[in-house]
Amino acid sequence: MTTAGWITMLTALLVVWGGVIWCFRKVLSTPQEEKAPIGFGP
Amino acid sequence: MASAQQEQWGTKLGVILAVAGSAVGLGNFLRFPGQAAANGGGAFLIPYFAALLLLGIPIGWAEWAMGRYGGKKGLHSAPAIMGLMAKGSMGRYLGVIGVLIPLGVSFYYVFIEAWTFGYFLKYLTGGIGVDTSAPVADQAAAASSFYNSFTGSSGDGVLFTGDSKLTILSWITVFAINMFFVFRGLSKGIEKFCSYAMPSMAVLAVIVLIRVLTLGTPDPNLPDQNVVNGLGYMWNPDYSRLGNFQTWLAAAGQIFFSLSVGFGVIINYASYMKRNDDVALSGLTASATNELFEVGFGGMITLTAAFVFLGLSGTAAAVATGSFGLGFSTLPVVFAHMGPLGNFIGAAWFFMLFLAAITSSLSMYQPAVALLKESLGWNHGKATGGIAVLGTIGAILTLWFTQGGAFWSTVDFWVGTFLIFVMAGVQIIYFSWVFGIDRGWREIHNGASIRLPPVFKFIMKYVAPTYLIVVFVGFCVQNLGSSISGAWASTGSRVAIITIVATLILLTLIVRAGEGRWRREGIDLNDTQPAD
Repeated sequence: MTTAGWITMLTALLVVWGGVIWCFRKVLSTPQEEKAPIGFGP
Repeated sequence: MASAQQEQWGTKLGVILAVAGSAVGLGNFLRFPGQAAANGGGAFLIPYFAALLLLGIPIGWAEWAMGRYGGKKGLHSAPAIMGLMAKGSMGRYLGVIGVLIPLGVSFYYVFIEAWTFGYFLKYLTGGIGVDTSAPVADQAAAASSFYNSFTGSSGDGVLFTGDSKLTILSWITVFAINMFFVFRGLSKGIEKFCSYAMPSMAVLAVIVLIRVLTLGTPDPNLPDQNVVNGLGYMWNPDYSRLGNFQTWLAAAGQIFFSLSVGFGVIINYASYMKRNDDVALSGLTASATNELFEVGFGGMITLTAAFVFLGLSGTAAAVATGSFGLGFSTLPVVFAHMGPLGNFIGAAWFFMLFLAAITSSLSMYQPAVALLKESLGWNHGKATGGIAVLGTIGAILTLWFTQGGAFWSTVDFWVGTFLIFVMAGVQIIYFSWVFGIDRGWREIHNGASIRLPPVFKFIMKYVAPTYLIVVFVGFCVQNLGSSISGAWASTGSRVAIITIVATLILLTLIVRAGEGRWRREGIDLNDTQPAD
């Protein structure tokens, strides 16, 4: 494997792993369910 | 009708995993590495990521937003939602393509899914009979012979008359599993299954990846056949290929089909989101998950394993046989060389492919189920039954006309490839130009926890449609001539064309019935009133 091959592979892996981790952290940090405020409604 | 159909995703994560499950399929593990290796190795990633940013993700966002917008009006089928976008009947009838694609593809996709399940069972019980003491050419011949027998490619009807009972039993099993989860419904069926299947698939992929990366140099007499050189076969960049239009075309095609944009599934799945659920982050996360499986696992496992045992010429020959040859004929030879763990790794590999396939096939039925419920007023059980009948008819044709794969490859080209370009083009043009990019941009950001860079507004209006048209023209120039002449060349391909046309007519009639029903119910079919 050439140096360019290593750089390409590691960059691509960094992008896809970094991307998926960033996205799921963001998704999981937001509330999963919206709950109606207590005390409102009929 | 609309008020009676109130299915929704249980969680925000659920819809992301379901869409990602739909996108992650056999192509991530089998097609991507072959395409990359044949088109410049690591250099392929440049046009690949360009197409991801300029084509795949923007059109995906448009589809997510359109789906959720339709859901706000109580509509879930692609024809009804496309009618809203286009403000008229033309969009509704073009939207029929958004049901035809997933349903038509399901006819043969479940057959291929049955191969993965059947191979998994074979590896659980001792493998497919590749003798590693024989010359490599004989091992490859044995694997190919099993593959041809299992898939019935030697002649029409052989699966019903020969000794390939495992193929039929595998198909019955996977079709029954599909129908069971579709019948269970969106949240209790598809979402629940994907919430277990996707993490399981990731775990299996990690197991296989670790095994492949620790293969070292299995044969000391062949020191060049090692893991590092195997990775080099896939990743060493050949930048001279970037000057070739074919490379850019292949990259755009790979992104396009991998992400399932224009497939008719995202628009349907997104319609079951809550009105303020985040489509921007959900779309991005589903795409990122797909890329992880494609680049992070598919790009690391398949060709590396083949290279270590088969060497440069053997791997190049395997890539030339195409995705299925690589996955079902070549890799069994590789697993046989892995020693005592070979059958376990083979079973893990094919079960992973099975999970990738079933999370995709489950998504193919839901758009048609939604259309039957919405257009004909059928309840969920009756609609699932209707789709089971159609799916069985399509599958029987697929299982019978197996000679040379003529039936399923014809459906794959016209429905699973050609029409996807058409559908994606129609969607992005309606979204950006008829619904309006400003309104669409607001719709994407409604409830979003991220702000998209403003440049994507320009990309969605101008770049993505132009890019798509260029790729589509290139695709037609490259493929259309031979595909038109081949469409009537064999019994299998002729039956496939008739099946496609018959299904199209049937779906169009259903949409016509639905149009009358929706008008009678006073639904705002042409989007004269904003949903919010």
